[in-house]
Amino acid sequence: MATPTQNFDPTQPVNMIDLTCNQVDSIYQHMLSKGMPEVMWTVDIQKFVWEEVRDAKKNGKKLVAFGGPVPVTIIRAFDCVPFFLDTIPTRIASMEDLCGRYIDETEKYAPTSMCAIDKAQLGCALKGEFGIDIDAFVHATVPCDSARIAYPMMERLFGCPCFTFDCPFRHDAKGYAYLAEQIEAFVPFMEELTGLKWDAARYQKFVEITEESNKSYDLLTQLGDLRKKTPCVLPGRMLVLNEIVAPIAGTPECTAMLASQLEMGNMLADMGMTGTRCPEERYRVCLMQNMLWSNTGIMDWMEKCYGAVTVMDGFGYQDGVIFDDLNNWEHVKMQLAESMLLTPMIHGATGPTEYWLKVIDKMYSDYKVNVSIFMGHVGCKHTWASGKIVTDYIQEKYGIPTLYVDVDAIDPRYKSNDELRAQIGEYMESVVGAENFCK
Amino acid sequence: MSYEKLFETNISGESVKAWRASGKKALGYVCCHVPEEIFYAADILPVRLRATNCVDSSDAEAWMSSFSCSYARSILQYLMNGTYELDGLVQSDGCMMPTRILDNWNHISSKAGKNLFIYQIGAPRITNDTTVGYYKAELQTLADKLGEVSGKKVTDEALKVAIAKTNEMRALIAELYELRKAEKPVVTGAEGLSITLAECDLTIDEYIAALKAFLADAKNRKPIEARARLMVIGSALDNPEYLKVIEDKGGLIVADNMCFGYKAFGEKIVVDDKDVLGSIAKYYLNRITCPRSLDNRPALHKEIADDCKAYGVQGVIYEKMQNCECWGGEAFYLEPALKEIGVPLLQVEREEQMANAGQLAIRAEAFIEMLDK
Repeated sequence: MATPTQNFDPTQPVNMIDLTCNQVDSIYQHMLSKGMPEVMWTVDIQKFVWEEVRDAKKNGKKLVAFGGPVPVTIIRAFDCVPFFLDTIPTRIASMEDLCGRYIDETEKYAPTSMCAIDKAQLGCALKGEFGIDIDAFVHATVPCDSARIAYPMMERLFGCPCFTFDCPFRHDAKGYAYLAEQIEAFVPFMEELTGLKWDAARYQKFVEITEESNKSYDLLTQLGDLRKKTPCVLPGRMLVLNEIVAPIAGTPECTAMLASQLEMGNMLADMGMTGTRCPEERYRVCLMQNMLWSNTGIMDWMEKCYGAVTVMDGFGYQDGVIFDDLNNWEHVKMQLAESMLLTPMIHGATGPTEYWLKVIDKMYSDYKVNVSIFMGHVGCKHTWASGKIVTDYIQEKYGIPTLYVDVDAIDPRYKSNDELRAQIGEYMESVVGAENFCK
Repeated sequence: MSYEKLFETNISGESVKAWRASGKKALGYVCCHVPEEIFYAADILPVRLRATNCVDSSDAEAWMSSFSCSYARSILQYLMNGTYELDGLVQSDGCMMPTRILDNWNHISSKAGKNLFIYQIGAPRITNDTTVGYYKAELQTLADKLGEVSGKKVTDEALKVAIAKTNEMRALIAELYELRKAEKPVVTGAEGLSITLAECDLTIDEYIAALKAFLADAKNRKPIEARARLMVIGSALDNPEYLKVIEDKGGLIVADNMCFGYKAFGEKIVVDDKDVLGSIAKYYLNRITCPRSLDNRPALHKEIADDCKAYGVQGVIYEKMQNCECWGGEAFYLEPALKEIGVPLLQVEREEQMANAGQLAIRAEAFIEMLDK
């Protein structure tokens, strides 16, 4: 059995932010030395995300940690750096030692069944290893019961000003109005935190950030359209980038990242080439639940061995809101509320199961899916509890049988790569009838 | 009046049958954030669902998976196998599992051609004026819909009558818990849980009458000697047998912080005549029944610590249902808070089915022995 790479000295305290920034920088330097200018944007964005957080104080900005859907553009308008805590587990999911360190810490106090996304970030907080001081913590009451263990504990651990958005069960006009009322109350919270006023100049800044955010969501829509084409020229693993759009939309760096991705995709399509590893595209896969951050390589393997490209996943799928009438604050608040409820993990997995079915319809019909995999993150128990309704629906409406695989999206120790490949491979060959190009 | 029904833990469904036979509706609900008063005001029997003595939930597991909470799964099983024959289901998003009971039952019953009333209300997870207002609006919609189901519009007057009745019930339950503060109580923890569970199976009039009869007779019961006075806290526990396993080892459960125990009742509702539904909304959102809300944890821990003092508790048993995240993370802050008042905490995991009674007995015995020294 291979020994996992040692990423740090386990006998010493870890500075998670520094460690992550150093690792991202190593990847950056490596790619630079190899002369890979066409894909540098994939790591540029990671450098931006992590270094912005690390350097917040150095740049004279307050750092606002957040969990769940919150109005990030308002945080940016107050000249603060928003730090999406879910990016910790998704970034370290491939580092078994660091991920395990934080998950194990949380499991001293919380059940093992808790979602590892929350376990990893809570564990980091419990160990006091963020490596940065947090000025405020803003979070929502969604996505799930695991987050509802973690957030109140982190509130007390951080000991900083906190604001909680109570997300409505139903995502309807009444729910939007409810959230809009809370957004209104959030503004004075930010004023008090920063000492800045929500005046005309600040609002103008918010408008500019929102216009930039519109560009990102427009590009995301175009990228989605590109993925709808057959063959899909964008590799499955690139879907992980969709996850970071919500927290950084509104920055030029996010827009640039999406524009580069689109440019690359369009160029490949024009040249009749592909960025996937498929010898030829035979199957279009939808991972109907979370992204498997702990093993994104499985998507490369499906492409290479079965010509099966992951065209969309239930986490990365987004219907972003394009804001209009930006000078009408009442209208904008409603759109902000809508956009908060349309973020990944919130859009389909909170509220009634029928919301998930709507996302399924958009993914399965628009992206011409013909292989369905319930890559079920074990911590996401409420989606498992809707699983049969959803997979029966897919079978009845689209005639596609779904493979259930239990995985831990964050903790790589849960299931080995070989076991996962065996489960998916058996399904591909015996149920789908796929040829294995790797044999 | 006999009070034997208070100790019948199986779900008989007799009262429900009689109620429905009179042409009235009976609706199930799962979580404590669905106010019974609104049902009574609409002349509908509210039946809080439980899964006591469910030994096989495999049909429901096919729908909810083995990663779901077995309590929720077992309730779905009872809906599927006809243990519950009701006119529908009303649910709040207490935690995420009851929501999925509703989704699955809605799906399964529709496919089976059953025309049931199935409705979900949203219950906020923080408490302030905005959230109470939203919750009140949710309750208003529920009241309107229940009025349509029963043909009896929910009015403020009807709500006040219902509140008077549930408050009477709450006062009787408070009396019951007062008995448990005695140095030698006359009620065991298992009996106490049977009594609170019985509310799920009786009409409120039957329940009040039985409670009164029991309380009148309580003085004739034999005081109980115990090696240690315990409190049980944690996930939804609807099986008195579980507590009996602990008490058989010499402990006596004198208090609880569970949604099928005292927390299902709580203090009386104070009615503002100008805003009756608002009074209900405020009451239910402020009442702490479990750690589902994000802003009630310190208050919950304080309640537990205060109750330890009030009931003379020597040790707390914290039972966690597997896959119950709602009650998953309290020990981190609660354990030190209890340590401060000299009360140790024992954490145990369980499933709805009594699969680990032997292990529980051993752990409980060791805990009681430690307390008894």
